[in-house]
Amino acid sequence: MAKLSLMFENKLVKEVPIGNRAVSIGRSPDNDLPIDNLAVSNYHARVYYEGGRLVVEDLDSLNGTFVNDLRVERAMLHDGDSIWIGKHHIKVDATADTAIPWDSGRKAAAPKINETMVLDTKARRDMLQQAAAMGERSQFSPGRLKMPTLVVLSGKVDHKEYVLTNKLTVIGRSPMATVHLRGWFKPQLAAQINQRDDGYYLGTGSKIPSVNGTPIQGPVRLNDGDLIEVCGVRLNFIFRE
Amino acid sequence: MQIVSGGVTDQGRVRTNNEDSFRIVEPLNLFVLSDGMGGEAHGEIASSMAVETVVKCCSAPEESRDESNATRHGTASDNWSRQTTLLRNAVLQANINIYQSAQKYPEQRGMGATLTAGWINGNQLSLAHVGDSRAYLLRMGSLQQLTNDHSLVAEQVRRGMLTPQQAEESDMQSVLLRALGANPEVDVEMDEISLMPRDVLLFCSDGLTRLVTEPEIAGNLQAETDPHAAAQRLVDLANERGGVDNITVVVARLQDEPKGWFSWLRLDTGKKE
Repeated sequence: MAKLSLMFENKLVKEVPIGNRAVSIGRSPDNDLPIDNLAVSNYHARVYYEGGRLVVEDLDSLNGTFVNDLRVERAMLHDGDSIWIGKHHIKVDATADTAIPWDSGRKAAAPKINETMVLDTKARRDMLQQAAAMGERSQFSPGRLKMPTLVVLSGKVDHKEYVLTNKLTVIGRSPMATVHLRGWFKPQLAAQINQRDDGYYLGTGSKIPSVNGTPIQGPVRLNDGDLIEVCGVRLNFIFRE
Repeated sequence: MQIVSGGVTDQGRVRTNNEDSFRIVEPLNLFVLSDGMGGEAHGEIASSMAVETVVKCCSAPEESRDESNATRHGTASDNWSRQTTLLRNAVLQANINIYQSAQKYPEQRGMGATLTAGWINGNQLSLAHVGDSRAYLLRMGSLQQLTNDHSLVAEQVRRGMLTPQQAEESDMQSVLLRALGANPEVDVEMDEISLMPRDVLLFCSDGLTRLVTEPEIAGNLQAETDPHAAAQRLVDLANERGGVDNITVVVARLQDEPKGWFSWLRLDTGKKE
């Protein structure tokens, strides 16, 4: 049985056998050989047997399908040929007795979408760069260059300002606290600020902090310039260059 | 700090085998969890190899071979504690073992596993992970994810290309950027967290978080103080909602410090070494 091996930068990504049915190739995940890359059309090409011969057919893709450097609409394939789609290279192996393809063995009961695939570092960098280059709209500014900082406006603490470098920031009297409250009767953990993928969230501790004058009811995402108040300490949350 | 813990792993309602593994080593306060992948039953092989290797390396660090791997892959700029470094080496060793096994047995090619491990010493948590199995901390009512998912969609969220909502609805959620066994080298993400009394740690495979929301996890952890019972409740909840994947939940609760007039005298020096 012949097989197609999807390669990316010389590493094997996926393998599929070619049986009686055509093998579909494209960006949409319901293809037999999905390639998640913006240079690849949703339904880019097909490979199938016709009259005992292996054929590749381009499905009117945007960027074309190439066999051994030649752009084709439809072409016969031989053992050892290379199909190029975007930056992906698909090796054609038309000998018999191939190894078990990666995704065999998945029982029918398992949902199709949950195929776990691992991309290596270069593949992932490239994929993400492609997406950025194609002008994906960015809804959140990455904010990587700006340091989240708490500037102390009033209250008894140990520093004048704190740059938040950790995932978890404790405001309290605990030795673990970043913002260390002074005073014997202050709570170990008065409030907390935690970093998530999409920003910094202020949460309660033993006390309920306020943001811009309003006590919070649960974890609240902090915005540049927010005023936090807890245990008699007032802090300005800002993003600093 | 006194810690009570418990864990549950479940095949779920759809899969025909369980490719998740976990171990709790109580005397060490070591918690290890892995979600395997690969055709046939190779996911099971990968995840149990991952867990057993980490447990073995952490239990007997003097005997663990390939110390040179650490220096080869080590980022010298990081000042991790000894325990954190040992944990990292253990995960690197697990990666090598899985990778080499797949080289040796071609039918295992493509097998891999996630890994998430927490090792507590005093009040310091050393955390290591590769993949999208998670560690959470529940502290004073706030549930905080401690690990960064090494998945494509999570990376897209971090770069502002997707909203968290879009990520959750994406078809590509199970595409991983890192896993054990895929390459001879792997970038293990490490972290050190200072823990406080009454903190609750939860480790889980994505079979839980695909079906149970974070507020529900937080609520269950607060309502049920027995760690094993809490883990079971969360597994049951995921199964009620379809149980489409294997589900593993491990819960560790740090006990309250004994109160007393002398508690303020206790000097806690934080990081060891």
